[in-house]
Amino acid sequence: MIEIGRLCLKTAGRDSGGKCVIIDIVDDKYVMIDGETRRRKCNVAHLEPLKEVVKISKGASHEDVKRAFKELGLKVKDTKPKEKKEKPLKQRGKKKKKAEEGKKGKKAAKKEVKKEAKKEPKKADKKAPEKKEKE
Amino acid sequence: MPAPRYRSRTLRRVHVRTPGGTSKIQYRKRNPKVAKCSKCEAKLKGVPRGRPYKMMQMAKTKKRPERPYGGILCSKCLKKLMIDRARKEK
Repeated sequence: MIEIGRLCLKTAGRDSGGKCVIIDIVDDKYVMIDGETRRRKCNVAHLEPLKEVVKISKGASHEDVKRAFKELGLKVKDTKPKEKKEKPLKQRGKKKKKAEEGKKGKKAAKKEVKKEAKKEPKKADKKAPEKKEKE
Repeated sequence: MPAPRYRSRTLRRVHVRTPGGTSKIQYRKRNPKVAKCSKCEAKLKGVPRGRPYKMMQMAKTKKRPERPYGGILCSKCLKKLMIDRARKEK
C-alpha cells in the first residue's frame, strides 16, 4: 500500500484531515509527503492510504504535486518560505546607555518641575508679608 | 472555629505564609473540572484548567492542541473519526 504516488489521509497532528501524496520513502517507518499538508517527513502510522495513486516521480517537486492535485480537484497548501532577515548586531552597552539617558532626562525634567513648584509658593509667601508690612 | 460561611468545603483552603512568619488559611474558589473527550470521556492533555480570568490571560494556542477538534476530541478518537471518514468516501 505504501508506495510513491499513493494518495493518503493524514490522521494525526496539525495537518490531520488533509490529503497528501507520498513523494519519497525514507525507511520502513517514515515517508515524505506533500499536498494539502505541509511538505514533511511523516510516520506511516499517521497515514491512512486511499484508493487513488498519482503518477509522480520519486522526490517530486512541490510544483509537480500541485499539478497532480489540480487534476484531482484538490488544493495544495503553500508554505511561504521565510524571508531572510539580517540579524541585528549586538551592540554592547548601547541599550543601557540610552535607557539611562532617558531616565536621567526624565528625572532632570521632574526635578526642574519640582524646583519651580517650590520656588513659586515661596515667592508668594515672601510677597505676602511684604505687602502686609507696607500696609 | 472558622466563620460559618467557611465551614463548608465549597471553597478550597490554601495555607499562606504571611510576612510576619505565621501561616494563615486563605479561602479560594475551586478550579473547574478537567476537560474531557466528548466521545470517550478520557482526560484531555494539553488543555489547562483554570478559572475564566486565568484562561482569558492565555493565548488561544496555549489552551488547546493545534489540530482539528483540538480540545474537544482526544487524539485517538480523532484518528478513528478521520479513518471512518476516509473509508466511507471509498
